[in-house]
Amino acid sequence: MSDNKISRRDFLKITAVGAAAVAGYSSIRPAIASGPTQAGPHQWVMVIDQSKCTGCEYCTMACRAHNDVPPDISWNEVFEVGELNGQKVFLPRPCMQCAEAPCVEVCPVAASYYRSDGIVMMDYDRCIGCRYCEVACPYGARSFNWKKFDGPNPAVPEWGQPEVARRPRGVPEKCAFCYQRIDRGLAAGLKPGIDPDATPACVVACPTGARIFGDINDPESNVSKLLKSTNTYRLREDLGTSPRVYYIAADPAKMKMEVSS
Amino acid sequence: MKALRAKLPSLAFNWWLAWLVFLGLFLAGGLTAGILVFWKGLSLTNLTDLVPWGLWITIDLSSIALSAGAFSLCAGVYLIGLKRYEPVARTATFIGLTGYSMAMLSLLLDIGRPDRFWHAMVYWNKHSLLWEVTMCVCLYLTVLLFESMPIIANFEWLRKRFPKLTEKMSQVHHYAPYLAIAGLGLSCLHQSSLGAVYGVLKARPIWYKPGLSVLFMLSAIVGGIALTLFASMLASRLTPKARINDGLIERLSHFLGWLLMAYFYWRAWDTLAMTYTYQPGRTEGLHLLTSGPLAFNFWVGEMLLGIFLPMVLLLWQKTRLNPFWRMLALLMVAGGLVAYRWDTNLSGLLVVLSYMPGELGVGYTAYKPSLIEFVAGFGVISYGLLAFSLGVRYLRVVDHRFISKVHEPVEVQAVESVTA
Repeated sequence: MSDNKISRRDFLKITAVGAAAVAGYSSIRPAIASGPTQAGPHQWVMVIDQSKCTGCEYCTMACRAHNDVPPDISWNEVFEVGELNGQKVFLPRPCMQCAEAPCVEVCPVAASYYRSDGIVMMDYDRCIGCRYCEVACPYGARSFNWKKFDGPNPAVPEWGQPEVARRPRGVPEKCAFCYQRIDRGLAAGLKPGIDPDATPACVVACPTGARIFGDINDPESNVSKLLKSTNTYRLREDLGTSPRVYYIAADPAKMKMEVSS
Repeated sequence: MKALRAKLPSLAFNWWLAWLVFLGLFLAGGLTAGILVFWKGLSLTNLTDLVPWGLWITIDLSSIALSAGAFSLCAGVYLIGLKRYEPVARTATFIGLTGYSMAMLSLLLDIGRPDRFWHAMVYWNKHSLLWEVTMCVCLYLTVLLFESMPIIANFEWLRKRFPKLTEKMSQVHHYAPYLAIAGLGLSCLHQSSLGAVYGVLKARPIWYKPGLSVLFMLSAIVGGIALTLFASMLASRLTPKARINDGLIERLSHFLGWLLMAYFYWRAWDTLAMTYTYQPGRTEGLHLLTSGPLAFNFWVGEMLLGIFLPMVLLLWQKTRLNPFWRMLALLMVAGGLVAYRWDTNLSGLLVVLSYMPGELGVGYTAYKPSLIEFVAGFGVISYGLLAFSLGVRYLRVVDHRFISKVHEPVEVQAVESVTA
């Protein structure tokens, strides 16, 4: 090593300069990707009343049509979770749109990100298909396109017309609260949660009104009032993901009323 | 007639040629499988939304881990100053280059959009461990390329054809200590981060622990050194092109025995600690390992053959000095590492944890790689074997008599001993 003269001090110098360069670069580089997104004026929230859900899966079908989801994938799955007084209890599961979403945190290319209105979005053109988000999601809300979805969608036109581009093979897909309906609705001066054209397709399709959608920033919205007046719970709150989907647990009294009425 | 006879010896059975043909068959199979996967998509695999990572991720993780001999031995030689092990570090560097390119190949198969493999370079998510791993792996592959320059410069054909270029390539060796620093930093980052890729996921209780990073790091160093030593010994027994100094390998093997003891402690502690109190998901994952479908892999592949037995064989002088037992022990360590990566991946994925309100229900799923996954996987592995074989034959990758010209003994001033 005598002819290239690298002393220990030089090593340290180089390492220090390198570390300083990295630190400097990252401080001037604006935070991109999963850094905190500035919260916008609207924060969308969904409330699902399990007393009203009959497990008809209209929501699943409407979702498939409006978002052009292949028949073997459900962005919005409905599970039978038990029985109360001889009546089945269901739990529909859209994407939770977590405020602290594991999928956004882990995505290596920032293809999953937060919109300013809290919706967890997927950039299907950026995704590399590594499926880390699928492994990380505690709710099983993501489905991978193992094969290409070709041909007509069996849910169309019976359940609605596709409003977004079909996803390519090799990327995972998930519910995004029908952001396209919200955006177009807002642009047309409509109110998401009130006007059907500005509201997620599953909420509109529900025949029993088990889904309530709206802006939690608006104290007069249905969801704000409901969340204030009713006990709700969220799925796996212990994980600290802060879902934006709230559930009202099935109430035997309410369910009985519906049977008798 | 005479001319024919002169040609005859070359027609005789040639082990080298047979080996190449053998590897060629697997390579051709792998290539076909790879093309099929790119063409038809990942539906050809047995991966599902519940088990999205399988055989290929195991090959990817294992080949990165088994390449860890490169950074650990280079750090030992160029930073700690254990100069006499330099020829072993050369072998490790080449194995590292091969291993990382194997990892790249299997990743390319595994991701759904291989055409976008470069996105991680452009679209940064600094929160993502997988992003960090990708960046580190790419940077480290560059470092390994530089570190391998002097080795590639040994290629006779290249040397005759481009003498100036190979001279320049050999001179990269001057920067070996700098490269060793970069390699050490990058490897410490991504080897442990590969464990953290799993370790940060709260949704998968059996993975969710900081110890996973430590275990991935430690097992990689152990497995990486073991594979380097095994490959060197095997090559030296198969071809006169590979020449080893058995003393070096024996000493490193002894050191490896102690490292195995540390690894044994960590892995056993990691597992035993999980037996206390029931935690949904984690306890079921542990059951998979200790009594479920992964039990044989865990008890026999990992603990007995992968750690305990080689630890004894390498620490006991009698067996360590015997080349057969030593080689067997080294091979078992490398195999145990692969078993560990496989077990880690599946013990988390095969457990399906419910997210329903109330008591968390736990279910199980299953995964068995499809034929195409195996064929493509074998293709990647045979690529690695081919690269190493060619390296041994043409680049003097395993040659402990090879001494880098630029290195002269460093003058050290003796310190006078003080007697009290």
